[in-house]
Amino acid sequence: MTFYTTRFGTLECSEDDLFVMPEGFLGFPQYTRFVVINHKPGSPFRWIQSVEEASLAFLVLDPQEVSGDYQPEINDLDARALGLDEHTPRQLYAVVSIPRGNPQAMTVNLAGPIVINAQKQIGRQVVIDDERWGTKHAVVSIQDQEDRKAAA
Amino acid sequence: MLVLTRKVQQSIMIGDEIEVVVLDVRGEQVRLGIRAPKNVAVHRQEIYSQIKHENIEAAETRPEDVPD
Repeated sequence: MTFYTTRFGTLECSEDDLFVMPEGFLGFPQYTRFVVINHKPGSPFRWIQSVEEASLAFLVLDPQEVSGDYQPEINDLDARALGLDEHTPRQLYAVVSIPRGNPQAMTVNLAGPIVINAQKQIGRQVVIDDERWGTKHAVVSIQDQEDRKAAA
Repeated sequence: MLVLTRKVQQSIMIGDEIEVVVLDVRGEQVRLGIRAPKNVAVHRQEIYSQIKHENIEAAETRPEDVPD
């Protein structure tokens, strides 16, 4: 299918590329169908782009890039909504916020990760209320972390 | 609303399986411990609102601001 986006122009994807968030993102409950787009080759950043609303997209990162010990416990209610059992492969994304023109102020939301059931392509923004992981987790330079990983 | 007064280290049972313990009080801050089964969601009241506002802000992020 073809769909328009304000950031990336017209894009094409197959039905298999889509995933559904039945309850949408908090604050945007009416939009439920999304695709994941890579930001640039080699970049850890990706975008979750709505296929229903051209201007709606969220910059995301694998939360492990930001906090290596990030292991949020998914409660039974969320697991059931996602059709997850302990063995189901899942993908986690944390929403990244960059104030306009100010990449140094980039923060990551570790309290509301997007959890995707990789088999069913169903996702949900789950609430993880844990003092260790807030909505505005500051990001040590991603490049520093990438460099450290490459050197290890 | 049911109103109960507790001292530090005292607790409240909600149903048979949920316990709220007053761990300590420092000035205006009260630290609470919650024991609850995994099928009960427990979080600060304002967290949903915080995540929603964070989403709204984050939705403004532009590709040109993303570091390489």
